[in-house]
Amino acid sequence: MTTPRNFCGRTRREMLWQAGAGFTGLGLTALLDQDGFLNGQTVAADGQTEWSNPLAPKQPHFPAKAKNIIFFYCYGGPSHIDTFDYKPDMYGMDGKTVEVKTFGRGGHKNVGRIVEPRWKFNQYGECGKWVSDLFPNLATCVDDIAFLHSMTADSPIHGSAMLMMNSGRVLSGHPCLGSWVNYGLGSVNQDLPGFVVMLDPRGGPISGSKNWSSGYMPATYQATVMRSKGDPILDLSPPAALAGGGQRRLLDTLRDYNRDHQQLRSDNSNLAARIASYELAYRMQSEAPEAVDISQETQATQDLYGLNDPKCSSVGRQCLLARRLVERGVRMVQIYSGGAHNDDNWDAHGDLENNHNLHAGETDKPLAGLLKDLKQRNMLDDTLIVWGGEFGRQPTAEYAKGSGRDHNSYGFTMWMAGGGIKGGTSVGTTDELGSRAVDDTFHVKHLHATILHQMGMDPNKLSYFFGGLDNRLVGVEGASPIWSVIS
Amino acid sequence: MSRTPAFPPAFQTAPPKASPRASLSLAVVAVPALLAVTAMLPACSADESARHDFTKQQITMFREQVLPILEDNCLKCHSGEHPKGELNMTTREGFLKGGESGPAVDLENHEDSYVINAVRYEGLDMPPSGPLSPQNVKIIESWVQQGLPWPADLHEIEFEAEAGPPQVTAENRQFWSFQPVRDVAVPDVENAGHNAIDAFIRHRLSDRGLTVSPPAAPEELVRRMHYDLLGLPPSPEFVAAWSKKIDAGGTLDQQAVAALTDELLASPHYGEQWGRHWLDLVRYAETNSYERDGAKPHVWRYRDYVIDAFNSDKPYSQFIIEQLAGDELDEVTADSMVATGFYRLGRWDDEPADPALAFYDDIDDIVTTTSQTFLGLTVNCARCHDHKIDPIPQRDYYRMVAFFRNVRRYGVRGHDSVLDASVAEIDRPADAKVYEAAMTRYNNDTRDAKDRMAKIEKLVWDDLQEVEKEDFQYDMNKLPILQKRVGTLLNDRQFNNFRNQFNRLKQLQSKKPTGLASALCVKEDIRGNKPTHILTRGNPHAAAEEVTPGFPAILSPPKPVIPQPADGAKTSGRRRVLAEWIASGDNPLTARVMVNRIWQFHFGRGIVRTSSDFGFQGTKPTHPKLLDWLAAEFVKSGWSVKAMHRLIMSSAAYQMSSRPSEQAWAVDPTNNLFWRFDMRRLSAEEVRDTILWVNNTLNSEKMYGPSIYTDIPDAVKAGQSRPGSGWGRSSPEDETRRSIYIHVKRSLLDPLIESFDFADTDQTCPVRFVTTQPTQALSMMNSEFILQQAEKFAAYVATEQTDGAAQVQFALARAMQRQPTNTEIQRGLDLIASLKENDGMNHQDALKYLCLVALNLNELMYLD
Repeated sequence: MTTPRNFCGRTRREMLWQAGAGFTGLGLTALLDQDGFLNGQTVAADGQTEWSNPLAPKQPHFPAKAKNIIFFYCYGGPSHIDTFDYKPDMYGMDGKTVEVKTFGRGGHKNVGRIVEPRWKFNQYGECGKWVSDLFPNLATCVDDIAFLHSMTADSPIHGSAMLMMNSGRVLSGHPCLGSWVNYGLGSVNQDLPGFVVMLDPRGGPISGSKNWSSGYMPATYQATVMRSKGDPILDLSPPAALAGGGQRRLLDTLRDYNRDHQQLRSDNSNLAARIASYELAYRMQSEAPEAVDISQETQATQDLYGLNDPKCSSVGRQCLLARRLVERGVRMVQIYSGGAHNDDNWDAHGDLENNHNLHAGETDKPLAGLLKDLKQRNMLDDTLIVWGGEFGRQPTAEYAKGSGRDHNSYGFTMWMAGGGIKGGTSVGTTDELGSRAVDDTFHVKHLHATILHQMGMDPNKLSYFFGGLDNRLVGVEGASPIWSVIS
Repeated sequence: MSRTPAFPPAFQTAPPKASPRASLSLAVVAVPALLAVTAMLPACSADESARHDFTKQQITMFREQVLPILEDNCLKCHSGEHPKGELNMTTREGFLKGGESGPAVDLENHEDSYVINAVRYEGLDMPPSGPLSPQNVKIIESWVQQGLPWPADLHEIEFEAEAGPPQVTAENRQFWSFQPVRDVAVPDVENAGHNAIDAFIRHRLSDRGLTVSPPAAPEELVRRMHYDLLGLPPSPEFVAAWSKKIDAGGTLDQQAVAALTDELLASPHYGEQWGRHWLDLVRYAETNSYERDGAKPHVWRYRDYVIDAFNSDKPYSQFIIEQLAGDELDEVTADSMVATGFYRLGRWDDEPADPALAFYDDIDDIVTTTSQTFLGLTVNCARCHDHKIDPIPQRDYYRMVAFFRNVRRYGVRGHDSVLDASVAEIDRPADAKVYEAAMTRYNNDTRDAKDRMAKIEKLVWDDLQEVEKEDFQYDMNKLPILQKRVGTLLNDRQFNNFRNQFNRLKQLQSKKPTGLASALCVKEDIRGNKPTHILTRGNPHAAAEEVTPGFPAILSPPKPVIPQPADGAKTSGRRRVLAEWIASGDNPLTARVMVNRIWQFHFGRGIVRTSSDFGFQGTKPTHPKLLDWLAAEFVKSGWSVKAMHRLIMSSAAYQMSSRPSEQAWAVDPTNNLFWRFDMRRLSAEEVRDTILWVNNTLNSEKMYGPSIYTDIPDAVKAGQSRPGSGWGRSSPEDETRRSIYIHVKRSLLDPLIESFDFADTDQTCPVRFVTTQPTQALSMMNSEFILQQAEKFAAYVATEQTDGAAQVQFALARAMQRQPTNTEIQRGLDLIASLKENDGMNHQDALKYLCLVALNLNELMYLD
């Protein structure tokens, strides 16, 4: 009995393609196809031009529980002990000085002044989960949610910590989760991007596009920023002068020129691909606006997401769009709650109450609406929801005065729902102050491993060759999924 | 990778090193049961395997469920001659006999089996990368409970274990690229072509029964050469004039080819095109990434240095030495200092969570870039452990680190720390008096602005929260924080006053008198004689053995002679030792790697396709003898890059047609043998420069200097945390300069440049991707940029031609750099007519959209 093992889990030709070895034309396409690498030959939208697409759907490693991901990213770092990680012993301790090791933007400290959690907690659902008053609506969904209370990350500084949450590394230049998913699985809808990011109207996160970059992978796998108002995708709308069918005639003329050019160069598939790409773009022009047209939704649905409430209508709209996009096959949608700087996001260094009332208030109803809507449409089973930020916050005050908390990557909470995740569970614990994870400690790579696993991929096998190394989202040493939250 | 041979059973079960096991058994005297099992193991093991008769279902379970788990999770370590913990899991006996911790399976008391303990993560946590899924744990449990069912005909699971890392051995030293460049004879071939290159290529083609493609049409060749050396299109007139210089066979005359090559090589735009190739390799970018993504001061001087180096045909050996050790030369020049900007082009995390790790991450960036770019070796893969594929031990990685050990980090935090660690004055002012007067004025003005601001700051300071006080130290936060107090502590007039002074200060600082030219460059800190240690698993907090500077042993290098720094020396002199070894004609890799890159940028791929990896996992050269011959020529020419261009471009191979040949394609579809010239798409910069050239707005005259800003749409800037931050506005004549001068901001790239596969900005990029995506089509059809360019194109066409057909002809010729056919002209006229008729456009608007079509032609985008 032998175990066939090709080099590092992929074919040599695929490796060469990844190394950008300069293959041109149909030659490489043909070879890769023999290896089953480009196993989705697509015929372009004009129905004639053959086209092989790096985003064509690919088979997962094993049957997937989830088909799509919606990652609700709370930029800035929400406080776990004020939201989902209940610390009853802290009540009545406000202002007391305790010895506790912390590390945030203010550096390493050994002592601090306790800031008592500013919200009351109540129990919800059959599972009896304690949730703070920040999330009264979401609290009604706890039986569908698995809470990870013992998350840890390598950095308590926004820049590197966000790169870690998005790309698994604190170093700039690595592909993010959505790129990995599209690289591994392709996209089932060629008329829409496979990976979409929606930003907070107040601004992008720090480091901007580095957070959704494909790093050393081709640009094919990077995210497309989609706006919930106006032109949803950059350069989507043709000029008004061509609206009356002029664009079609223009594209037909272009195709005629390009076909003539191609005739003497018939073996060059890149030429055909480029012809086809114009037809795809043309289709995208009509598909994308349809996808974001929420007037097609009933009033009841819109209300469910809180569109009737000015406080949360913006996030509500994004959550509703996210559902419409995954419905149409977009693999991953990432929504940023919070943008820009300071209290425009969850980074509550100053006034904790104002900050978290604002951001939780904006997101509570839309998130609950999203979970309920997916559930009523039987979409929750194959849509994986992930919630959290790049880290949590400290139990103690950052400054001599005030309730602001500094960053905490020693222990924080994230949650997942749908996509084969076991609802009504909570795993891992932090100490009695929530200062650090103490039991069943998980790292960002375990979260990533869980996401990839639910999408049908073995996190230790999904690799991409670059710079002489087999790179993986979960790192060279590998990581197992968090089995205890997988149903 | 070697296969573990199936050893005879006797050998397989021979007791390995009995003593550790014995002592371990004694150590667990508190558990007599275990001792007893260990003691009776040999007899039991033999009995068990003979006695058991497993059912068909049990054997199926083993094959379909247990075996994949073992293969995926266990056998990598627990197989072969020296399994980890001395536990061999490829045989049933192996499980029963166990390893250092005793038998892996206890057939009497299943629950006591340490295999079960391990997979449950109840102490002996295995596999180490993380627990198996609960289903798989159950499978293992059930397998043990059923008495370890195992097929009778399977003595041992054959497992292709990953061989240990290759060693530095005499045999491995024989690998082609580790050997000195060979002196090769040019083969004798019939129909020898133009020069030795053709002899090598035709020799291999005839071996496979193939012949070369015919020469390219003169127009195609002129266009190919022009783009190749300058990155710009030739004018249709230029093409027409040169294409007349043909020989009897109708192909471009060889004297004309040589003259054209010389003319192009003399153009200053040559350095812009080939300098950009180099910038890809050295991860050139002008900002630091991370939260602030701040601009690198004076970084553009490095870019200009590279352009000049190519234009002046600086010997490549000198080019290497200046970049790696320009500050350690006998004669340090402004140029050689600027060259050391090489060290400063990478990312910089200005608030790392682990400063020690960040220090070594930065050194790793230098080791990676240096070893891959100059040597084609992935030494970086040996940071945490011995290189898995190449014979590069971890020790060699840290010996290379030792050359860079004293290089200061780019900065500590903040702009001043960068000036301190990475910026030096390189030149005296031309006129000291003028400069001093300007500086006095500058200092007075800035002080005045600061004073006026301070007065207003004072009004609100006590009201600021602690967090705001901290934020206030960054300029970007000042206005928003003050604005919050308008109406309470400040009135509108005061706030506007502050804003005016704030902007005035920015304006002043951006035009600080440049009396002393400064450069971004390397600096060392040689106080304290810092040792270099091997870091266990790459962990900076786990220092192991100390090492001294050394070259990779597999290359059989000389022992480096490290100088003792003189008193008062600013640097250790180590980098010069490394640089001189790399730049030596005796180095087996340097000339091969560079000549292969030159070949790659001419032909679209290297003779070694993996042009930054000449190790075991790289591709073998398709023409090893040709590569060695070229490498030798390169060194003989005095490392002249331009000599290589002349040599390569004068070959018939370079001048071949790119048209397909069914016969050759059937034999060699990837053109491994160079039976034709491969087509290529324009690079990102070429796409933009061509668009601007075609519509006659390209400002190619202005070269060098600080980078420019293109007009990035607000929708793209909206992705920044402060939309527009770090991106300025250039004057119209600057905005139309060549793309190499566009500011390279790591977190915000010009969308057109990015979409056409600009080089990765964070890591060395030897080969760019060529992707084809619908988003490219969207931006080439609908973007504000392209529509503006189409409009300018149409305006240009209208000034040159008035007649409709002449306009179409002119526009297409500009885009394709050849005269269009009548059919092509008619097709354009038809479009114009249809747009007028159906869309109610006037002539100029219709012409604009014809121009838009022209800018989108595949013929514009692809070179033959």
